[in-house]
Amino acid sequence: MTTEELERELMTLAGPRPDDERARLTIRATLVEHIGTRPQHRRRSRLALGAAAVAAAALAAAILGLVGSGGPSADAAILADVSRVLSPPPNLIVHVHETGQVDGAPVSAEWWQETNAPYAMRLIKSNGDYVGEGSADGTTTSRYDAATNTISQRSSSGSDTTLIDPIETVRAALQNGTAQVSGTVTIDGRSLYKIELPNGVVGYFDRTDYRPALLDNPQGDGSIVRTRVLTYEELPLTPQNEQLVSLTAQHPDARVETSPAPPDKRG
Amino acid sequence: MVEDDLLMEVRALLEAPALRAPTADPDAALVAAARDEPQAFLALYDRYFDRVLGYVRLRIRDDFICEDVASTVFTTALAQLGRFRGDGTFAGWLFQIARNAVRDVQRRPAATHLPRDAASFEPDVEERFLAFERAAHLHTQIRLLTPRQQHLLGLRYGAGLAFDEIGAIVGTTPGTARVRVHRILEDLRRRYSDDD
Repeated sequence: MTTEELERELMTLAGPRPDDERARLTIRATLVEHIGTRPQHRRRSRLALGAAAVAAAALAAAILGLVGSGGPSADAAILADVSRVLSPPPNLIVHVHETGQVDGAPVSAEWWQETNAPYAMRLIKSNGDYVGEGSADGTTTSRYDAATNTISQRSSSGSDTTLIDPIETVRAALQNGTAQVSGTVTIDGRSLYKIELPNGVVGYFDRTDYRPALLDNPQGDGSIVRTRVLTYEELPLTPQNEQLVSLTAQHPDARVETSPAPPDKRG
Repeated sequence: MVEDDLLMEVRALLEAPALRAPTADPDAALVAAARDEPQAFLALYDRYFDRVLGYVRLRIRDDFICEDVASTVFTTALAQLGRFRGDGTFAGWLFQIARNAVRDVQRRPAATHLPRDAASFEPDVEERFLAFERAAHLHTQIRLLTPRQQHLLGLRYGAGLAFDEIGAIVGTTPGTARVRVHRILEDLRRRYSDDD
């Protein structure tokens, strides 16, 4: 036997099995359960991003039929509709814009993400006077520095560049979670479904189009930070819209600094 | 709140105080996020599940026990994340937990199950069984290595880490890690071939 043959046998020995996905999800569920019993230590100064993530939690629960109130069909239908809205098909760009207030300071986050692998995205975040902008497209992670009009990029290679579908990730992460439709409310004249999620987050979804509208994030000190979803829209994946996820397209005059790619996983 | 890997990366990118400063630990941002929001630990889990399971599989024969050990590794890491000071890399810390978990199992009397594939009654069951026997033989030879040698072999061929990553984990240069792994491989190859 040659060394190369032995290397191949070793990699086969440790390699993936058909049943790995089940194992992955089972252990994930265990972790989710553990996380659910841990106290939260969220910092007040951080804007909790992710209406899509929270809504996808509802989606995950809906898929699994885990309606906490015992599964009335009406609630299940609401969760299913939310799930449908938050399961965008390929060849789109999802655009989300959230705002809120933390300690009296306005905060916001806005991002565009393709629904095709590797789910390229660009994100702009502001917190008081601070504004940051970054992007990732599966091969390059970039950040824009407005002060110097510079885009700093870090290339990746091999498995480091394997990005994952966030919706799928959230589905898997919360496969054992529970979501419960706890009623309807009217906020700012808008009629919304109130959906309670296992981690204490409450999402409010429009009763007509099931899109996320508000998000209440419990903080470690008992307060609630409310995030308002100003925009949740799907855009066609046209060449013009593709530029929305590209930092260089948005800042064509910026200087680009590139860091070397880390070595391949098999070095 | 749960966030995906991509969002974490971008958020970490935005929150990094100095982008141009080299990142000593590629997982530092995710670890910081997980400390702040335990749900973020799931992104670390996603990143390392395959590698940890591969590492364990290289050192433990039984598929069921491998899953138990992988589960133990991640639940332990989640529970003890607050104790991780960031002196080394998260990967190094995680694989040390894996190393200890494997050691605990190897100290117990062996319980052998047929792997799921071998136990299935399919047309190629004989072929699968032969593969199972061969894998069992290789595992036996691996177990004859020292725990440190097994650890290095697991990092390279189980977790699929590059030599610079292995070096960072075991505290050597990438070149030294490469030489050590090569020696172990040669040792194993001789034993395996002689015993074949």
